[in-house]
Amino acid sequence: MIKYLLGNIDNPNAAEIEEYEKAGGYRALTKALSMEPEDVIGEVRKSGLRGRGGAGFPTGMKWMFAANDPKFPKYVICNADEGEPGTFKDRHILEKNPHVLIEGMAIAVHALKAERGYIYLRGEYPEAEKSLQKAINDAYRKGYLGFPLHIHRGAGAYICGEETALIESLEGKRGQPRLKPPFPVNAGFFGGPTVINNVETLANLPFIMASGADSYLKIGSPECPGNKLFPVSGHVERPGVFELPMGTTLREIIYEHAGGIKNGRALKAVIPGGISAPVLPPDKIDCPMDFVSVQKYGSMLGSGAVMVFAEGTCLVKVAWRALKFFEHESCGKCTPCREGTGWLRSILERIENGQGREGDIELMEDVAGNIAGNTFCPLGDGAASVALNFIRHFRSEFEDHIGTDCRKMAVL
Amino acid sequence: MIELTINGRKVQCPPKSTILQAAQANGIYIPHLCWDRRLTPYGGCRLCLVEVEGQKKLLASCSTPAEQGMVVQTETPKLEKARRTVLELLLVHHPLDCPVCDKAGECELQDLAFKYGPSQSRFSGERKHEPEFLAAPLIERNTNRCILCGKCVRVCKEHQGVGAINLIGRGFKTKISPAFEETLDCEFCGQCVDSCPVGALGTKPYRFRSRVWFMEEQPNICPYCSVGCTTVLSLREGRIMRARGKDGVGINEGDLCPRGRFGFDFIESEHRLTTPLLRKGGKLEPASWQEALEFVAARLSEVKAKHGAESVGALGSERCSVEDNYMLRKFMSLAVGSNNLDSRARFGYHKQTGALKKAFGIPWLALDFNAPLAADVLFVLESDLTSTHPVYGLKVLAARRDSEATLIVAGPQETKLATWSSTWLRSRPATGVALVNGIMSAMLEGGLHNKDAEKVNGFPQLAEHLKKYSPGEAARMTGVSAEDIRQTAAALAAAKNPMLFASFGSSSNTKGEGTALALMDLAILLGRGPEALGMPPEFANTLGLQMAFGDEGKGLDARQMLYGNGQKPIKALYIMGENPAVTFPGTAKVMKALEGLDLLIVQDIMMTETAAMAHVVLPAASWSEKEGTFVGLTGKPQKFVKCLPETGLSMPDWKILRNLGTLMKAEMGAGNFAELAEETAENVLSAQLPAATPALTAVEQATTETTEDGYRLLLATGNLMQHSGSLTAISKNLGSAVSDAYLQINPADAKACGVTDEGFAKVSGKNGAVIYLKAKVTVEVPEGMVFVPTHFAHAGVNMLTSPPTNGEAPAVAVKVEAA
Repeated sequence: MIKYLLGNIDNPNAAEIEEYEKAGGYRALTKALSMEPEDVIGEVRKSGLRGRGGAGFPTGMKWMFAANDPKFPKYVICNADEGEPGTFKDRHILEKNPHVLIEGMAIAVHALKAERGYIYLRGEYPEAEKSLQKAINDAYRKGYLGFPLHIHRGAGAYICGEETALIESLEGKRGQPRLKPPFPVNAGFFGGPTVINNVETLANLPFIMASGADSYLKIGSPECPGNKLFPVSGHVERPGVFELPMGTTLREIIYEHAGGIKNGRALKAVIPGGISAPVLPPDKIDCPMDFVSVQKYGSMLGSGAVMVFAEGTCLVKVAWRALKFFEHESCGKCTPCREGTGWLRSILERIENGQGREGDIELMEDVAGNIAGNTFCPLGDGAASVALNFIRHFRSEFEDHIGTDCRKMAVL
Repeated sequence: MIELTINGRKVQCPPKSTILQAAQANGIYIPHLCWDRRLTPYGGCRLCLVEVEGQKKLLASCSTPAEQGMVVQTETPKLEKARRTVLELLLVHHPLDCPVCDKAGECELQDLAFKYGPSQSRFSGERKHEPEFLAAPLIERNTNRCILCGKCVRVCKEHQGVGAINLIGRGFKTKISPAFEETLDCEFCGQCVDSCPVGALGTKPYRFRSRVWFMEEQPNICPYCSVGCTTVLSLREGRIMRARGKDGVGINEGDLCPRGRFGFDFIESEHRLTTPLLRKGGKLEPASWQEALEFVAARLSEVKAKHGAESVGALGSERCSVEDNYMLRKFMSLAVGSNNLDSRARFGYHKQTGALKKAFGIPWLALDFNAPLAADVLFVLESDLTSTHPVYGLKVLAARRDSEATLIVAGPQETKLATWSSTWLRSRPATGVALVNGIMSAMLEGGLHNKDAEKVNGFPQLAEHLKKYSPGEAARMTGVSAEDIRQTAAALAAAKNPMLFASFGSSSNTKGEGTALALMDLAILLGRGPEALGMPPEFANTLGLQMAFGDEGKGLDARQMLYGNGQKPIKALYIMGENPAVTFPGTAKVMKALEGLDLLIVQDIMMTETAAMAHVVLPAASWSEKEGTFVGLTGKPQKFVKCLPETGLSMPDWKILRNLGTLMKAEMGAGNFAELAEETAENVLSAQLPAATPALTAVEQATTETTEDGYRLLLATGNLMQHSGSLTAISKNLGSAVSDAYLQINPADAKACGVTDEGFAKVSGKNGAVIYLKAKVTVEVPEGMVFVPTHFAHAGVNMLTSPPTNGEAPAVAVKVEAA
């Protein structure tokens, strides 16, 4: 199995440009630069690469939209605001293998005839900034970069991982999502056509350019080719980031790569794609992990962050903690998200504390049902669907929790 | 047109409409809280959700474009449920303090909760416990009531071009605040207050004054500048409680500036005159109307008998109605027999009417209020349009924002338009003529001018004259680079629909008739007529006064009457609604002339500095206490109404003049207002604007004074957005925003003069006058220039100024020292 994202992760000097070059780095860029930008886009389209940020939008198509827009200057922005709870995959690229991202950005900038590139980096990743900045400096020194490439550190808002809020923030404004359309590919950063790609997406480009779309298509599943990084956390023996082909089943990820459930306990629930993805019960873990299959199983691949909960975990508490996160991170722009996340959190809080009332579950379903789909951006949708899906799969646990405190139940 | 189906009805809407606009255009109501006609859609409140066939999700109609063939439902059980949830969520944090909220009764949240809302809350969350913010003038903020629709933020930033407030914090903790939670310090236009759907923003003067259901609404025409906005007054028991803009009402369609929204309280000033006053033993003593009018009649007859009728003069008022000024003219000709009739417009509006006569052979301009929106290149010369004519200025701003027109602002001051301009040509003060000449010169140099202009009278002379103003030479005179001058010429010449803007007020002393004339020359070279000029008159009825006074040149003008330029000195002066001791340039000369009069009659609404010198003072009813007609910048008459009782014994100006004229045995007519209005409509307002015949005139760059050693700073005087003439100085509301004159000075000059920010400065002119002002050190003015607003009598700014004589800009050279 080929690992082109974090293959050299065990080399302590992997982040050094010389090591990267030794492993074949920057040859893909050289090749791309010798091609017409249109052909680079053609190759990426052919590769079937889908965005790794969560939505799985075909990257080549996104590029084509931006390239076809007659406006200049154009911009390439790397979304490195990795804030989805459970997700820590980009961090490894940023800290341990930054050149694969920089090379990917350079390819993107060339393909799109962009004027400059920005890396919008999560504010809580100070180490990543250091290694990334060093890598950028080295790439300049070696003459690989012919365009301005800036790092912009975020200020800690989850919403700035949403691409339009990211642009607002990068422009120096309050991080709040913008109306779409127009989409960033037509009117993004300061109104220019802008491509925003996730770190991992851009990191796929060197392999695609070096080995060709055909070899890329051989990896992973037909509708979602390529490798995917799976950050696994929770009650597993070996939590960590795993580079595996798209379509690897949840079972394989949890039981083979992550070493199974901690202390041999039984699996209770798993979130397959970061906290916003609907939770799955244990009987769904044969789900192949790619954008298409996970949807069929009633959840979404999202960032691919697998969060594992073993038997004995209070899922009411998990749901409460998730809603607390969404309440804290709601930007405040639209009513349902701003007010609804707090309401849901507060209901979950009283159930968790043994103060739940009859009808609370139905109330939550009603409120969440009226938030889902009615918010300005997916943050509110995510929050509502977390509540709805926990109830859907684990209703009896919620019902049992009404009026009791599970911490005391354990004592009894 | 796009065709779509809403609620089963086939409807049409123009392209680029949203679903909400399509519905509104067809009388279909969709509830909304964060949408505003003037602003880009926000999509935050989520109340305007609709169902669209083929779409799984509910869509926000405010931000979803209407498409051909769309099938939309606006009222379904699913939508009602979604809306009810949104309202329920909004009410979770809303304090429900309706009994003490000034908004109650006209609160959109209250109305919507009534329409959709549950009467019971299923959830009572934490409420906000912010204190009310009352420290700022005029505007109060109650963030607890805020529903975070963000309209105030956007109206301030997008529509007004200010950006004084924004959302801070996030989620439930989000609130509207000035930067760093400081006290609000802005233009105080109050547009945010009108846009607030709930009671989170209010006007302090209205705080706890009335419940809305006890008030009557009365739209009236604003008495301040010439835009002629409709300000909607709320009345209770014969008093104005507040004034607001109402969406779609009046030429302003709901926009208002600080003056129109807060300036109404001058009516209730303690300085209002309540009885006629007669000077007895050196003091003004109350008298009856009988006594006062008999005194005036007798003394006027005396002066006439001794010095002849031509020794009597009168000053009309740009704030009084067409009818009032018409009666003054009638009184002067029938009862007195004199043509010595003028007004303050001599120092302001006449700069442009003088130029108009020369350039186009027309007596005034009738502006198309919305013309700036259709312009693609807008050139603003040395004018702070958003301060002098705020709501007209918004149109210029809108052209720049909405249609991305090119906005070129020329002038030394960093005005709001300068900050929003595409190009700011920072010229030296009072060099407008040189700049425009330079632009015209560049145009001729490149052959960019409209070739038809070559056939216009005066073209060869102008072309010859402009050789002196090559872009290089103009650059030397103005401080704007030759390159910028050429580019401006090219941009204007390439424009499909260029417009040239300038305001000529009596208080702005950096422009003269020459400045207006040069701009008109430029318009002609661009192949345009008067329609390309955006030059509004100064006050509410400046143009109406001009119409009422009719032909000029028959008698003495204000310069001849008051500045000793007359062939024979004036012995008696009848002043209606004017305060020359403060508002006329060159105070010393004016005072001397007033002191030398045998008879000074002042008819005014308040005790002014001029009235204090009078032999007799006649109390006049103010705007809203009388009816009348204003003619503003569009040239179309607008009636204003009487909605208040007259103060004390005051009477409408026209009535005083009629009574006095009748007493003096003149046939005054005007048995009542209706008769008078009919007469003025026939004699004054029926006048038609003749067709324009262009002519080019060569204009030299000239100012009355030049800077020299010691007097090296050029003093520019002008208007503030919050004030208008000297009338607003008695408005307590506006006084709470700006209550004193100040001296704006560049940091470099301040340092050289030893003046510190907020410190006092001594300003002396070559004429020996000295005034003291608080300094505001700012880069808004360039080096070599200081700026002072002229509204405040006690500051005595006009001690330093002088009236224009020959079309040049009457700027003043001053010396500034620390005081």
